[in-house]
This record gives sequence, structure tokens and C-alpha cells, in this order.
Amino acid sequence: MSNIKRTAIVIVALVLIAVVMVSFKGSDVLDRAIILGIGIDKGDSGVTLTAEIVSPGNGQEQVGTFSKTVTVDGATVGEAIQNIAEKTGKEASLGQCVVLILGQELYETVDFTAITDYFINHHSFKESAVMCCCEGKAEELFNNSDALSQSVALSVAAMLLDEADKIGIMSNSLLQFARSQTELEKTGFLNKIKFTPSENKDAQDPDKTQGFFSYRELAVFRQNTFVCDLNEDEVKGLSMFLKDTEGETFVSDSSGLKLTVQVNSKDIEQKINGDEVDISITLSVRLARTDSDEVTGAITAKKDKEIDGKMLDDVQKQATELAELYLKKQAEYNFDLIKLHEMSRQKNGSSRELAEKPTSDFIVKLKIEVKEN
Amino acid sequence: MDKNRVSADQLALMYLLIIAGGKFLSLPSILAADVGHDSWLAMCFSFLWDGVCLAFLLWAIKLNSKANMDMSAILDKSVTKVVTKIILLIFFVIFALRTNILLTSCYHMFSVTFDVSTNWIVYVLPVAAVGFFVIQKGFNALARASQLFFGLILIAVIALLVSPLMEVEFSELLPIGEAGWGKILETSFTRSFWFSDYLFMFFVMDGIKVKKHVYAPVFIAFGVGVVLTVLLNAVFVALFGSYAPSFDMAMSKIGVFSAASTLNGRWDWLTLSIWLISVFIKIVTFIYCEYKCLEKLIDKNFANVNWVLAIIITLTLMLPMLVSTETLLSTVIAWGLIPFTVVQYLLPLLMPLFTKVALNKTEVKHE
Amino acid sequence: MKELKFDKLNAVYSGEDDFRVRNMNCGIALKVVCLDPMCDDAKVSSFVLQPLAYVNDAKSLSEIEKRLAVGTGVRKPPNFFSIVEDFTNGYTLIFDGNDNCISVDTRTGVGRAIAEPPTSMVMRGPREGFIEDVKVNLTLLRKRLKTPNFKVINLTVGKYTNTAVAVCYIEGVAQKRIVDDVVQRLESVNVDGVLDSSYLARYLDVSKTVLFRRVGTTEKPDIAVGKMLEGRVAIVVDGSPMVLTLPYLFVEDMQSPGDYYENSTMTTLSRILRFISVIASVLLPSLYVCLQVYNYQIIPVKFLITILNASEAIPFSPLSEMILVLIIFDILREANLRMPSAVGISLSLVGAIVLGDAAVQAGLLGAPAVMIGALSGIGLFTFPDNTLILSLLRLLVTFIGGIMGLFGVILATLTLIIYLASMQDYKTPFLAPYAPDVPQDRQDAVAQIPVPKMKKRPRSIPNENDERRG
Repeated sequence: MSNIKRTAIVIVALVLIAVVMVSFKGSDVLDRAIILGIGIDKGDSGVTLTAEIVSPGNGQEQVGTFSKTVTVDGATVGEAIQNIAEKTGKEASLGQCVVLILGQELYETVDFTAITDYFINHHSFKESAVMCCCEGKAEELFNNSDALSQSVALSVAAMLLDEADKIGIMSNSLLQFARSQTELEKTGFLNKIKFTPSENKDAQDPDKTQGFFSYRELAVFRQNTFVCDLNEDEVKGLSMFLKDTEGETFVSDSSGLKLTVQVNSKDIEQKINGDEVDISITLSVRLARTDSDEVTGAITAKKDKEIDGKMLDDVQKQATELAELYLKKQAEYNFDLIKLHEMSRQKNGSSRELAEKPTSDFIVKLKIEVKEN
Repeated sequence: MDKNRVSADQLALMYLLIIAGGKFLSLPSILAADVGHDSWLAMCFSFLWDGVCLAFLLWAIKLNSKANMDMSAILDKSVTKVVTKIILLIFFVIFALRTNILLTSCYHMFSVTFDVSTNWIVYVLPVAAVGFFVIQKGFNALARASQLFFGLILIAVIALLVSPLMEVEFSELLPIGEAGWGKILETSFTRSFWFSDYLFMFFVMDGIKVKKHVYAPVFIAFGVGVVLTVLLNAVFVALFGSYAPSFDMAMSKIGVFSAASTLNGRWDWLTLSIWLISVFIKIVTFIYCEYKCLEKLIDKNFANVNWVLAIIITLTLMLPMLVSTETLLSTVIAWGLIPFTVVQYLLPLLMPLFTKVALNKTEVKHE
Repeated sequence: MKELKFDKLNAVYSGEDDFRVRNMNCGIALKVVCLDPMCDDAKVSSFVLQPLAYVNDAKSLSEIEKRLAVGTGVRKPPNFFSIVEDFTNGYTLIFDGNDNCISVDTRTGVGRAIAEPPTSMVMRGPREGFIEDVKVNLTLLRKRLKTPNFKVINLTVGKYTNTAVAVCYIEGVAQKRIVDDVVQRLESVNVDGVLDSSYLARYLDVSKTVLFRRVGTTEKPDIAVGKMLEGRVAIVVDGSPMVLTLPYLFVEDMQSPGDYYENSTMTTLSRILRFISVIASVLLPSLYVCLQVYNYQIIPVKFLITILNASEAIPFSPLSEMILVLIIFDILREANLRMPSAVGISLSLVGAIVLGDAAVQAGLLGAPAVMIGALSGIGLFTFPDNTLILSLLRLLVTFIGGIMGLFGVILATLTLIIYLASMQDYKTPFLAPYAPDVPQDRQDAVAQIPVPKMKKRPRSIPNENDERRG
């Protein structure tokens, strides 16, 4: 009897294991097309989607590129992503995607709400992924990985996430952008990436293109439609109002020397009273002689020259000019990247009038002070 | 029984884990859908309720500490047997529903976040098996296990909260009470009355060893639980703003902005899975309570797990296969709001009184 | 007529080559009997034969007993059973014609010399180890416990082996109830033979645990004494250099003999390291597998690329690859244990280089999998008592993780801990002092405070005197 019982238990256990094994369906990493970055352009049938996919090289040690790009068409983003599976034979997996880039033609002519919505509601797409746009086609941008000798998606993410806010440039994650397009002021920005070729001096491989990405310009959007571009000066002006970006530089002549002064921290005070907004900004500056990593640190560079009063005056003058340049543009095109509406909401609560209020109705009184750090 | 004994410290830690286990799953987004950025206030109010009930319940536990009667014995002696059975039945329904809701949230969590998708039966059976294992080994084993996991889970929760805490602009939560105080209060009652976590204490009160303090450890645990939960809610709504209602798994999303996550993968999900242990501890505790309800309903005390009861409980766990949890919830709220409120919020307040009555009766008998 | 004890003995042993009988006349007729291989010839001649040779006027056996003053262990066995026991243990028996008997200790000292035990080498601290002789082992204990409170209860276990078992404890420290319980359990053991203390360990395991060792073992007298000073009972078994200690806690496996002779900060750090390594050993392979099968998002991009690079050409699924690695590692370990140490070294080399490297080169196994398997295999040895069972658990968790993903790993871990927490032998919870939490005992569990600050004995082990001082 006990023998039969034992056999029965073993059989039941084996059956259970088999049932469990059949019921759980994992998907091996090798069966996945792991997407690192996505670029979206306007296509004939709807959208053209370019995905940068991890492409391992058969157990060989690899240096530099390890990715390939796949371009697919689809009526919607969802359909296009399905088509990636068709092209690669693997399940398209967005969980490691770090960058979302919109092509110029798409963002300038189309309302891309559906695209933002798709990604923000996608289960595995990270809301923290960087969202930006580019000059020309996103597909072309992604095909520059040879020129960079590394993955485009990873280098764009590294640039915008790690470096941008230390050299005075703001950047946006998918979630931040999506929120800016749906909440209150309904305006937000995306960094505009541009590939700049440089001269190839490599004697071994003279045909290879070389270059780098620049991202000092922004595109402004309202409810996922294009409003205007911000040029370098206006971006610098905008950055005066944002306390998370640091490292803006100004050039000053002092006793015959041309010196660069760098902002290494900002103190911003905002007060709103009805439509009047008082913004006083205190910039702490020092001579630019550190790595960008140390911009915000307390350790100062070797001092052979102190900052003098004239330099502070120069910086103050330049900063005020730039900030006012930005404010002018903001009022002209009616967008709000410095969250004047949000300030008003925090004080008075949200209302319909506030949401519809043009930015030019706010009277901004700006005061910039500069001090040595 | 000896194997179900719990010390006051263990009780406190389990309570904290149980608070942390359920309230972080789907509640934040549900609250955010109703009252927007004021959801943390709604959370505070629901805790206020809980705190008062908890104090009374602990009082009853302290009174009971020498006699160590179980809940049904106290009720039998103070109100009648019939009322006791009705209360037990309501408790059974509550626990069955809450186990199901938790399991469903957890199921979503796994299939959405962790890509582990399977059918309901294969998912529920292992969890139920752990539940029965605990019933077999005694509640004390679970209490001890949670003592071991407690530190780890707390560190995991704090680690998950720390990095978003740095990112978040808390000024987004201003102005306070924008949704209207009446609405906040209402939401805190209708939405979160499912989540009063002290209920399990009813079913372990016969085994609680009260040495010196019982209020202090339990209320410290409660305090930490409140702070963590409210903070999590605040961080969640401040971080996700208008998108908060559509992210139904607060905990799995909150770590997305962890400082280094973009290129470094979702390491925060490893801490998340440590936290998930507390969800399972909560589910297992509820299964234990369900089992005890059934045992007391039929006035039996089994030494080992009784197969019939186990099968009944397993069958109740299959409910979400037939009805969606939303319909289940709305039906039950429509029918059972009053009895549930009585059992959850009135019974703890009356418990000290009942315990006194029961104690007097026992003493009379002894004389 | 009643059969004489000598005749009974004679009937059993006559015909055996090593059964020696010598008839002597010392005033009364005496029969001197001994079992040759068990006796030391020199002792027989100087403690028994020489003194007897000068006696010729004895009137009774008691008088003979007095004349044998040179022998240390002279006694009168009360019954036939103890006569046989003494005889087989190497005592020389002297019978008179009236069925009286005395036994003289002439046991041979043949056996291993005291040496440093190979299983617990220490950098600092005493190097003496137990040997197979119970008497020597008790000597080693007594040498360190010069107190009348050190008590030994002698028992004999085993129908054929008649193995001497000594239950040692310190009176006033160890709880009497536990001692009684242990003695009672040992007395009720009904078995043919006891070849090693581990035979008895099975009988002392109250809850009959399938997994995990529930009785502590040590080869070092200093450790045994240390444990007895904490209220534990030590069980010395003849023929075994392993002394059992009871009750046993899970954390004891993490504590190495050298811990108490090092700086306590270093000890704490190395214990934390052991703890982390054992957790990593059990969980790492399963995490590696389930992250690959289910949760690729968790893995950092660059590591993911490495994994993809390494495993693209592998013909196995991540789960079977990992299980294969783990089994290969277990085979190597098993083979290594059974090999003579000289061959063992070359075997490890062959295993590591040929199997590991060639498998990776040939594209059969991925390098990360081999690395994780090896790391986890080595990490397990930080818990020497439970290495085998942990390696089995590791296989199981890996299997579950590979099939059910993180869901399975979490459930399995929870169940395992609940199981461990539920174990309680001799009133001592297995996972103490952490589950349940015993603050007083945390002074020497994972963390260790300096010895001068340890003023209390651990509470999780039942004892009669809490204070280490006075």
C-alpha cells in the first residue's frame, strides 16, 4: 500500500511540475528584440519608426557598436512596433528603451498626442526615458552610430540625462513632457538634436563620417503640436529661471584678459500677486576651471585670478538680457516653460480661467543678482 | 494553542508589514482618481479612523491577556452565539474578498511589471499552499518569519522612496484640500475602508503574549506605517500628477526615476520584489484568518490543516475567475456596506466592553 | 546449579584466538582473562600479573583487589553484562572459584594522536582536536573545565558495538530538563551499532527534520567547552572525533572556530560576509535565470549586452544552462571529496580549466553562467555544516525561478523562512536570535561584541544561570 501511495505522490508531483512548467511562459532574452531607442518620422502610411536594437555578435568580444537599426512603417506606433517583430523575428521589447526621438517633419506638421499617449501608457516603456526631437529625420539620426562608434540611443541618453543640466541645458523625460502637455499651461519643450559632421583625419579609414551631436536648441509644444523653436540665446535665457540647470557660462573682459565665468548655483525666489510675478534670481558664479562634474561642488579651482566687480556686472547684464529675450519670446508665442500658471495654481487653486489665461497676461518683474561663490 | 502564539513585538511588526503590504499596491491610484493631489490627505483621514479603532482593540487585547480567550469565546459570552456566528460570517466574507482583491492586484503586478503571466489557478494555488503551510506550522512561524524579513522590507521600502523623494516637487501638492474637504473625507471612507489592517488581530488575540507593553510597540509600528504610506502617496501624486490615476501599480512605478535607473536597468525592482514579500505575508495572514473563521463557525479546532476547509478556502480564491473584482467590489459595497462598517469600525470600539463582560462571566463561573 | 560467570564467558569466547586465560594460584585459584587486541600487554603484566606473582596467601578476591594497588582502574563489575562490557573494552578480568570477579583497566592506548582537526583549522587559537577515544576526549574537556560542576553521564548505546557515550554538561548552567531529555533520548535508542556520533544525531533530532542539520558538531574541545558554557550539552561518542552539541541554532553554522580569537570587529565583518555569500549563493543562480527569462528590464543595459553576447550561441535555455552548471559543480565537489588529496588538486584543476573553460570556448555554456555557478558554489562553503543541503536548495530555487520567475523565487524564499522559523527543538527556536528576536543574544550572532562586554549567556538556549560572571 505504502508503495502505491509513494508512487502516486511522485506521479502527482511530476504532473504538477509539468502543469506549472506549461502554464508559465517566459520569454528568453534571446527571443527578444531589445530596443534601446526609438525614432519616429512621418511616413506614407502614418508613421515610420526606427528602432535601435541590441545585436550581439556571437560570443565575440565587442568594442563600440553592438546595435543595429530597424526601420518599419505602420499606421500607428503600435502597429509599427508589431512590425518590428515581423522584421526581426523577435518580440519587440521596450523595457530597456532609453530614448524617444521625434523627427522634424513629424513634430512640425502633426499633432502627436497619440504617440505620447501610447508610450506613457505602455506597460514596460520607462517613463523616465528621455524624450527629444531632432533636425531632419530621426531615421538618419539613428544611422550615425558608426560615426559615433557607439550606440546612438545610449549616447543621446547619456548626454541629455547626465551632462545637459551641468552645462546649462534643460532636458525632459517622457513623463515630464507628457505632463506638461496635458496639465494646466499645456506647454512644454523638447531638446532638438542635431548631428554635426566633423572633418575626418583618420588616415586608415578616410571614408568614414565622423561627427557629434549638439543639442543646444529647443522646440516648444502646446498639446503635442509644434509652437516655435528656441535658439541658443533664448535657451540660455530660459535656463536662468530653472534652478536644476547649472553651469551656464558668460564671457567677460577683465584687465585685458578674456575670461569665462560659470554659474555654479542658483537661488530663485518667486512671488505671485494677482498677475504680477516677482522673480529674483541670485547667480553664484566662479571662473570656469573645473570639470562639468564639479560645477555644483564646493571645491573651487586653483585661483590665480579672483572674480572682480566688473565681471559680476558683465554677467548680470548678459544674464538679464538673455532672460528678457526669453520672456519676450514666451509672451509672443504664448507658452509657459517657467511655470507661471503653476505658481498661480499653487496659490489660488486651479480654475478654468487660469488654464486659459495667455502667458502675456502675467507681468513678470525680473531681478537678477550675481555674486561670487 | 502554542504554535499560534504571538508576542507583542511580533504583533507590531506584522501589523507594520501588513500596512505596507496592501496600501502601496493599487490604493494610491484609486485615491488619486477621486481627489487628485489631495489623496495623501484622504489617506491620513483613513488612518485616523484606524488609529482610534486600533487603540480600543489593543485595550481589549490587554484586558484579555490573562484569560487568553479567543474572539469567538469573548463574543459567545458577551453577545449570543447566533450573533457571534453572524459576525464570523461577515468576517469570512471580508477576508475572502480582501484576499481576492490583494491577489488580483498582485497578479496584475506580476503580469504587468514582471512579465510573469500565467493562468489564475496556477498563480493562486502556490500562494494558497503557502497559506496552508502556515496554518499547519502555526501563526507563530509566520510571525517569526516576518520578524526576520521586517528589517529587509523596511529598508527596501525606504530605498524605493528615497530617490523619488529627491526628485519630487512637493509644492505641486498645494493648495491643500483643493478637492474639497467633504469629498476627501468621503473618499477616505468609501475607498479605503477596505484597507483597515488591524482586523487580523481579532484572530490571533487568544495567542498574544502581553508582557509589559502592547500599546507602545504596536503604535510605533502604526506610526511608521502611517508615515511611509502617506509619504508614498504624496510622492506618487506629486511625481505623476495628472497621470497618477492611470498608473495602478504605484510601487512599481515610483522607482522609475531612481537616480541611475535609465542606463542601469531597473534595480529598483529587486527592492520591489523584497517588498512583495510583505504582500504575500499579508495574503497568507488573511488566508489564516479565513481558515480560523471557518473553524470557529463550525466550532472545531483542528490540529492539522483540515482538507475540507482548505478546499473551501481555495474555492473562494477562484472567485475572480467567475466575476471581475470590480463587479464583485461594487456588488458587495452595495449590499454589505453597513455590516462591513459595523464589523470593521464598531466592533473594535465595543471589544473592550465585550471582553470585560466575558471576563466577568468566566470569573463567576469559577467561583 | 547456577552457571558461573566465567563459564558463561568461556562458552562465548573459547576457541577465539585472542581469548587469553591464565590460571594462577595466589592462595586461592584464580583465572585471569583478557581479550588480547584490546589490552596493552605491558599493562597486563605490570598491573595484574606482576603484583599477583608475589601473592601466595590470599584468602579472598577482595584481598587480591587490595593487593592490586598499582592498577588505576580496579573495580567489581556488578553483573555479567558489565563484565562483558569491561572485557570487550580491554579490561583484564580476574575470577575466583566463587563466581566473583574484579576488572583491572589495561586498555590499550592504540589510537590516533591528538592533532589539529582538518575540518576546522584556525589561524589563531588552540589546535588540539578530539580523537576517536572517548577517554582522551573527556580528558581534553576536563583539562579546560576544572570545576566540580562539570558533569559526565556515561551511557552505552548499540546492541553489538556497546559504544560508550558520554553526556557532558555544566551543572548550574545547562538546564537539567534538557540534559534529562537528551539522556532519555539516548537511552531509548535501539540500534545495532553506533559507528559515529552522527548516528546518534539522527536520534536527537526531535522534529525529524528532513532538511538542515539540527545537532551541532565540533572537532575542537575549546569550541565544545565554549558551547557548554552557553548552556549546551555536549555528547562524546567513543570512536568518533565529532562531539555533538545541543541545542543547535542556525547561526552557529556561520560562526567559525577562529572567530573568538580574532578582533570582534573583524569577526563581525567576516560573519556578515559569510552571511551575504550564502544568501547570494542560494539566490544568485535563480535570479540570473529568472531575470533572463522574465525580467530583462532589471538588468543594466551594458550587462544585458554582455549576457546576450555570451549566450547567443549557447544551445541551452537559460534555465537548463544554469542547472547544468550547478550540477557539474556538484559533481566536481563530490568527486573531489572522494579523491585522495594529491589527486584532488589535479581534479579541481581539470574541472575548473578543462570543463569550465572548454565548455565556454566550445559555446556550450555561457561565461557569465559558469562564473555565477562557480561563485555560488564557492560561497556555499561559508556554511560548512549545511553546504550540501543549501546546494540542493539552490538547485530547487533555480528551478522554481526559471519556471515561475520572481513570483516563484519570492514564494519559495518565504516558504523556506517560514519552515525554518517553525522549527524548535529542546525549547530553542532554530532561527534565534533573529526569529524570534532575542536582543540579548544578538551580541554574538552575526555581529559580535568584544568578549569582556558579553555579560549574559544567550537566552535562546535554555539555561539555569543567565550571568556569565560569578
